[in-house]
Amino acid sequence: MTSLAPSEVARIRSRFAARSHSRTFWIAWWAAAIAGELLALRPFITGPVDGIGVVFALVGGSFCAFGLIAWHRRPDSRSGALMTATGFLFFAAPVLGPLEAPLAFTVYVLVVDLWIFPFVALLLTFLTAGRLQPGVDRWLVASFALPVIVLQAAWLLTADLVDGTDLTGKNLLLVFPDADFAHQIDRLQRGSLALLGAVTVVVILARWLRASGPRRRALLPSLAGAFALACFAALLVNDLISGTRSQFLLWCAACSLVAVPAAFLAGLLRSRLARGGLADLVRDLGSAHGADLERVLARTLGDPELRVAYWLPEYDAYADADGQPVELPEPGGDLAVAPVERDGRQIAVLVHDASLDDDPELLEAVTAAAAIALENAHLHAESAARLADLRASRERIVSAGDAERRRLERDLHDGAQQRLVAISLQLRLLQNRLRDDPSAEQLVTTASEELARSLAELRELARGIHPAVLEHGLAAALDGLAARSTVPATVSYEADGRLPEQVELAAYFVACEALANVSKYAQANSVSMRVQRTNGLATIEIADDGVGGADDSLGSGLRGLADRVEALDGRLRVVSPPGGGTTVSAELPCGS
Amino acid sequence: MRVVIADDNLLVRKGIVALLGEAGFEVSAEAGTAAELLDAVDADAPDIAIVDIRMPPTQTEEGLVAAHAIRARHPGVAIVVLSSHVEHGVATRVLAEDPAGLGYLLKDRVTDLDDFAGTLRRVAAGGTALDPLVVSRLLDAGDDDGPLQTLTPREREVLQLLAEGCSNPGIAERTGITRRSAEKHVSSIFAKLGLPDTGTEDRRVLAVLRYLQSA
Repeated sequence: MTSLAPSEVARIRSRFAARSHSRTFWIAWWAAAIAGELLALRPFITGPVDGIGVVFALVGGSFCAFGLIAWHRRPDSRSGALMTATGFLFFAAPVLGPLEAPLAFTVYVLVVDLWIFPFVALLLTFLTAGRLQPGVDRWLVASFALPVIVLQAAWLLTADLVDGTDLTGKNLLLVFPDADFAHQIDRLQRGSLALLGAVTVVVILARWLRASGPRRRALLPSLAGAFALACFAALLVNDLISGTRSQFLLWCAACSLVAVPAAFLAGLLRSRLARGGLADLVRDLGSAHGADLERVLARTLGDPELRVAYWLPEYDAYADADGQPVELPEPGGDLAVAPVERDGRQIAVLVHDASLDDDPELLEAVTAAAAIALENAHLHAESAARLADLRASRERIVSAGDAERRRLERDLHDGAQQRLVAISLQLRLLQNRLRDDPSAEQLVTTASEELARSLAELRELARGIHPAVLEHGLAAALDGLAARSTVPATVSYEADGRLPEQVELAAYFVACEALANVSKYAQANSVSMRVQRTNGLATIEIADDGVGGADDSLGSGLRGLADRVEALDGRLRVVSPPGGGTTVSAELPCGS
Repeated sequence: MRVVIADDNLLVRKGIVALLGEAGFEVSAEAGTAAELLDAVDADAPDIAIVDIRMPPTQTEEGLVAAHAIRARHPGVAIVVLSSHVEHGVATRVLAEDPAGLGYLLKDRVTDLDDFAGTLRRVAAGGTALDPLVVSRLLDAGDDDGPLQTLTPREREVLQLLAEGCSNPGIAERTGITRRSAEKHVSSIFAKLGLPDTGTEDRRVLAVLRYLQSA
């Protein structure tokens, strides 16, 4: 596998956006292709048949026809469009050539070789869906501009073609007629064209030689194209050396060129990508992450055993979505490995059945798609982590508030309350010593009574700040609530032992608020409180037999409590059908 | 009568010690923690132990735990649990197993020395004492339509004292009625509430408490 550059990811991304064209679009192209082919074949219909001429006239049609089919069937790949472009540019020679008007002739000479650009691009980019990759590919295609555009223009400026050998006509661009110079330019042009053609062939051959068996099979269309290109290069070299045109090489070039589009179409339709797998992949990858991603990729590649192994640089190891270590298979076995890279870094590998190597185009598209999905998964994980942070901070805020209230209650109890008790004890001792002074004794008695009232008030204050009764457990606290309830209340505490402090506090507050609502609105005869604990979830339920129909305005206090419950990752529910009583329940996770 | 006092607040402890001394009690030991309390009781079993519910280290219910330990090791030692706040739920827990010789009171009650001394003697003699605040809260919250509504004001007053652990003579003394009419009121209350009159005073407390709790 080649590494996936960012542009590669962008390429796959652009595949996902491949748009389908209207019927009119296709009819127009087909009509133009048929018209071009008919024009190209016209001389042979009306005049004598020239074998090699007919074959060359068919090249354009072949590229157009196979190109349009490929374009239609594989909209994700630009190879079809490149083939179509090659075909139409190839029509220039047979269509414009027979016209004798000077303008048509000049344009014809200028554009006659432009087909080389899409053709070379097509050969180089078959495995990258017709997108030129930065580097060798782009430089190679661009360098063809020297012979095809620059030297061709320079030649036209100097070559008088009225009595030309290959091309005969009135050259409108002839500004500096100079037969010698034009001849040199012509030789240079043929030489550079042959050289660049040879370089392209070498590049393709080198890629083919480097590739593994299945990948070589996938590169066969490019190899066929390279053969045609090699024939042209040999033809040019032969021209330069012998000064005559080799009919054998010309036949080889023409025939191979006619056959190349068919090879490309076959190659494009051979991949499983052609059978709509990518469309599903694109749709499913949108939300896939973790084990989902593995499932989607496995389905697209038709390999149920496919595993995504994430690279963990900090551990220098691979692991699956659950964090379990993954051993990569040895090369040459039944399993193979395809790296998934992002920004030039390897982020994961796909461990897949080795037979998938048969379809490198598919595998490459899928790994690139996986790179994007992993990027999504990364973002998803990040936002999940942020959410967890938020929840933790909410829990911290609530528990910090609780701890503060608890501290206040402790301070009141251990400080002020104890001191007041101590003072009232001392007043009592003083009273005993004042038996002989009734007025003084009366004063002390009054002070004692004041103090007793202060103590009672302080006790209620402390209770409001934090229910100290929770120190004795939720069951005792609920018993206390039931005892003070104006509506007869029962408590059924079915949880074993104590619950976590925060959970007990939240449950207690929910019970307080629910009981307050029962006494204010429910017109109930009885209310029952039940606490259960199953599978790490504590549930408190306060159910009355009142009128029900509690609307939102009744539960404002409960809504405030919902925040507290949710901060513990719990849930608060109020069910209150009219006439069916009201049930307030809170579910609170409390470990196992 | 020999008393052990456990309270981590020195001022309060000394105050109680001084008051009880004036009331004629012999304070045989003082403790600032539950451990000291247990050591003191183990060393020289008193007639009664007065225990603050909140003590170090956690300041939650060390006193209750210590009370249970004393009850298990020295069943003869009466215990009065003091607290800055009283809760009905805690009361049932304190008295649940065997209410004889147990008391659960607000700490403030100590200042009403005569009452407190009486309570201590009653509990030491095997009686039961429950803070009036617990009982009055239960009475206030009671069912509006239930049998409690059939009680006369006098009977409600007697019920309150009954629940606090007063004996029939105690009720007579506190309400200023004759012992005989106190007995009649108690029988009437038990009949109206449908409770079996078990006879023993500590059981009566628990019966009334359970009744009020479910009312």
